[in-house]
Amino acid sequence: MTVQAQRRGGGYLDRPAPSGLADVVEIILDKGLVIDAYVRVSLVGIELLTIDARIVIASVDTYLRFAEATNRLDLYEHGGKDLSEMVGDLQEGGASGKVSGAVKGAKKALTSGSDDDEGDDEDERPRRPRKASASSRRSSR
Amino acid sequence: MTNTTQGTDSGLMLYAVVRADHIVPDGLVGLDDNPVELLTHGGLGAVVGEFTLDRPPGRRQDLTAYTRVVDALPAGGPVAPFRFGTVMPDARAVVDDVLGAQEQALGELLESLDGQIQYNLRATYVEDAVLAEIVEGDQRIRELRERTRALPEDLQDAGLRDRIRLGELVSHQWERLAHADADTLLAELSPTLTAHVLRREPGAEAVLDAALLVAVDRSQEVEDLLERLAADSHGRLRLRLVGPVAPYDFVGTS
Repeated sequence: MTVQAQRRGGGYLDRPAPSGLADVVEIILDKGLVIDAYVRVSLVGIELLTIDARIVIASVDTYLRFAEATNRLDLYEHGGKDLSEMVGDLQEGGASGKVSGAVKGAKKALTSGSDDDEGDDEDERPRRPRKASASSRRSSR
Repeated sequence: MTNTTQGTDSGLMLYAVVRADHIVPDGLVGLDDNPVELLTHGGLGAVVGEFTLDRPPGRRQDLTAYTRVVDALPAGGPVAPFRFGTVMPDARAVVDDVLGAQEQALGELLESLDGQIQYNLRATYVEDAVLAEIVEGDQRIRELRERTRALPEDLQDAGLRDRIRLGELVSHQWERLAHADADTLLAELSPTLTAHVLRREPGAEAVLDAALLVAVDRSQEVEDLLERLAADSHGRLRLRLVGPVAPYDFVGTS
């Protein structure tokens, strides 16, 4: 969708070609010229679609997540490797984020769910397993 | 005028402000597959297209149609995208109330965007690497970690207070590191940028989430620099660069 898409590979810099709805929403969400309120007929944003994706999970919930990830970390169990070795291992193992995974879960649940159906304007709640027909269970905030 | 949607069948979806002599690609269609047209006033143009008002825009195909139009425009000159979902009743309203009413400001805006492109840069931590760093670097965290890890599964609740305290300490360290690393990245990048805005504060989700405004003739330099930074921080930071895209983050609102 952009002027140039995915030109080169092999580098460390990730250069995805934005394609899915999630990417589009990410790029245009809340962005762009807003014209004077009194002249506009409608500025029907996509707030409903995305507002929950931007929640900041604060306090205890986050702390427990961090604690869990920290405890899961195999720091000393592998015979006291130093950090650089460990990082190498992590790379090879393709270790994926757990805390950030959890935090991003909200967004993923929303955006990937929206990617393949027509219910894009549904007010889905994050952190709900989207397989469980999230769009039919409208939240009652 | 505010309520003209009532009883109106269709309006004009506004895609972007451009210069009056902007060449809009032939055959470009927007929402509802309606062709887009260029309305002009003085030196300004607005790229617009018919839009049926029987529903709010926001479906998947609406969003992709909008970006398809906006992304097709930059080849013809500077582009200031309207926020998605901006609809006006008719051409006269667009010309009078938008282009005419804000002629000078919009002209200056286009001037500032001439020859500029936007990238979206996101830096995230390789989680386990940074957690290890945090554990190594903090005595209290190490102690709490040992204590809470030692608890058997069924007694985990007993250590709840400790676990919350552990997570709190870790998350504060994480944030502190994220701010420091965001500053470092921006300091490296700044000399090559026209401007940047943070799309999100450094934190749990991302170290850096920023829109970069870059002169077209420096774009290669920026990409090369980012490639080098990504290589240097490999294993600890992941850098993800999207674009170029239209300068959505540099049109004076947020």
